[in-house]
Amino acid sequence: MEREPRREAVSGVMPGALPGDALGLGLRVPHYRELFESYPEVGYFEIISENFLGDAPNPRKQLARVKARYPVVLHGVGLNLLGPEPPDARYLERLCRLADEVDAPFVTDHLCWTGAGGRSHHDLLPVPFVPELVEIAAERADFVQRRLGRPFGLENVSSYLEFERSTLDEWDFVTRVVRDAGCYLLLDINNVYVSSQNHGFSPETYLDAIDYSRVLQVHLAGFTRSPDGTLIDTHDHPVAEAVWRLYERTWRDHGPFPTLLEWDDHVPPLGDELGELEKARARRG
Amino acid sequence: MTLRPVPAWLEELELRFGAMLALPLAREGGSLEATPERYDPVLEREVRAGPRSPASARLAVYQRQYWFRLLTVMHAAYPLTTRLLGHWHFNELATRFLGAHPAQGHDLDAVPDGFDSFLAAATPGPVVVMTRPAVELDRDVLLDAARLDAAYRRVLRAPEVQHYRPNAADAERLLAGRLELSPAVALLTDTFGSWELRGRILDEPGEVPVRAPPRLAAARHGALVRSGLTLRLVPLEADEHELLCLLGEHSVGHALAALESSRSASERHDLPERARRWLARSVDLGLWSGFRA
Repeated sequence: MEREPRREAVSGVMPGALPGDALGLGLRVPHYRELFESYPEVGYFEIISENFLGDAPNPRKQLARVKARYPVVLHGVGLNLLGPEPPDARYLERLCRLADEVDAPFVTDHLCWTGAGGRSHHDLLPVPFVPELVEIAAERADFVQRRLGRPFGLENVSSYLEFERSTLDEWDFVTRVVRDAGCYLLLDINNVYVSSQNHGFSPETYLDAIDYSRVLQVHLAGFTRSPDGTLIDTHDHPVAEAVWRLYERTWRDHGPFPTLLEWDDHVPPLGDELGELEKARARRG
Repeated sequence: MTLRPVPAWLEELELRFGAMLALPLAREGGSLEATPERYDPVLEREVRAGPRSPASARLAVYQRQYWFRLLTVMHAAYPLTTRLLGHWHFNELATRFLGAHPAQGHDLDAVPDGFDSFLAAATPGPVVVMTRPAVELDRDVLLDAARLDAAYRRVLRAPEVQHYRPNAADAERLLAGRLELSPAVALLTDTFGSWELRGRILDEPGEVPVRAPPRLAAARHGALVRSGLTLRLVPLEADEHELLCLLGEHSVGHALAALESSRSASERHDLPERARRWLARSVDLGLWSGFRA
C-alpha cells in the first residue's frame, strides 16, 4: 500500500531560499586561506555537517566567518537513514543546533545506510530498492524534516553493486521516497552517471524520471575509473565531459536549480574550483 | 512519534555487509588487496553480478574503500608516527587497532582515538621498519611520536574553555585544592627531537619510513597550548614539567610536597621560590581551566 504523499510537511518553508541559478562550492579546509583573503563571488557554500558538530572551536570560528558573507547549507554523511535503528536523537539534536546556527536554507543527507550493529562504516552504502524500504525511508525522512523544521533533502548515492532483491529501479525508489516523505531531493548528476555506467542503465532515463519541483540542488563532482572499468565517486577530478553533457541537458529541460561543485580529495586551489563553476554557468547557455 | 526499525532481513544483510567491510585487506602480495575469497557466500548471493564483474568484485570495491578511508584518517591523525614507521608498517598496526576498536558514531575524526595507548600495548620492543637495509625503530621513539601526535589531536579538538585566574579566596585554599589542566593543553616530553621532526614531515609527505634522529643528550619538556586559534609549544624546565604533571594528579599541597620529597637537601634550597614562579607562569600561560577546593 502506498502512503499518502506529505508534500507540505514543512509548511511555509520552501526551498527557494537560494536563487535558482545559484552556483555553490563544498567548503573544504584547504580553501580557507584563499577564501578569507579574497571572498570571491560564490552563490553559497555547503558544509559537511559532521565536520562542525564537534567541540573544537576552530571549525566553528571559520564557519562563522563564512556565514557572515555567504549562505551556508548543510550536507551530512552520518544520518544512517536506512540503518537498522531510526536516526539517532542526539545526532539530530546537534544537527538542528548547527542548522539554526547558520540559518541553513536546507539540510541534506543521503538515501543510504552507513552503519549497523553499533559500528559506523563511514561510507554511503546501498540498499535493495524495494517498496518496503520506500516506506521506512519516507517515514524517517519525514521525521527528520519535521525535527529540523526546515527543508530536508536526500541525495542519491553512487553505487558499485546492485542487490538481487531489488524490484524497483533506483530512480523509482528515490522519487517514491521523496514523494512519500514530502521531503526534497539533492540530485547528484555525477552519482547518476557513475551508477549508470557501473550497472548499465540509461542516465537520461533516470534524470527524466525526477520530479524537479522537489530538487533542492544539483551536485557535480569528478570520478575515477578503476582498472576494471568501475567508476568510483572519488571527488578528486574535474567534472567529466559526460557529466557536463548530462548537466547541460538537465538544465535545459528541467532547470533552474542551484548547482554545487564537490571536490574532496587532491583539492585544487580555490581559483580552479571557481573555474569549474564558470564552466557550469557556460554550460547553461 | 515512534519510528520502526528496518525489517529483519535488511538488518541481517547490513550486518553481513559490515562484517565483509571489516575483513582486513590482504598484505601477502606486497600491496593491500581485497579478500573476496573470504566473503560470506550468503552475502555474495544477495549481490547481482555487474556488466563487467562478478558479485565478489563489486563487494570488493566497498571493502577497499572502507579500509583506505580509515587508514587515510589514521595517517592524518598520527603523521609523525606514520612517517617513522612508514605507511606499510603503520597500516599493519592501524589495521589491528581498527579491528580491536571498530568505528562508532558519526565522527570520523574520532576513529583514531586511543591509538597511542594501543601502540604502547601492541609493541613490546623495537619495530623493524625496513628489511633491506635493516632499520629498527626504537620503541621509546615510536611511543614518544605517538604521544606527540595524540597530544596535537587532543589539543586541537578540545572545546573552548576559560583560563583559570585565581582570586583572593582561592589563594587561601590553594594548597588543599586541585588545579584542572585545560583540555586545550598537553604536557610533553621529547627524547629525540620529535617536535622539529613533526613540523618537517608535515611539509614532506611520503610513504617510506624516515629515519629517527639520534636520542637527545637529555630529555626536554614543554607544554602544547592552544589559546583561541593559536597553538604554541612552550619549553618547560624539567622540574617545572614534573610539578605540572604532579598538579594534574594531586592537590597543590601534595604536588609540592611530592616534588620536594624527591629532591636532595641542596636541591630543595630554592625550590619554594621556583615553584611559586612556575605556578604563576602556568596561570599566565593559561594552562588551567579550573580549581576545585
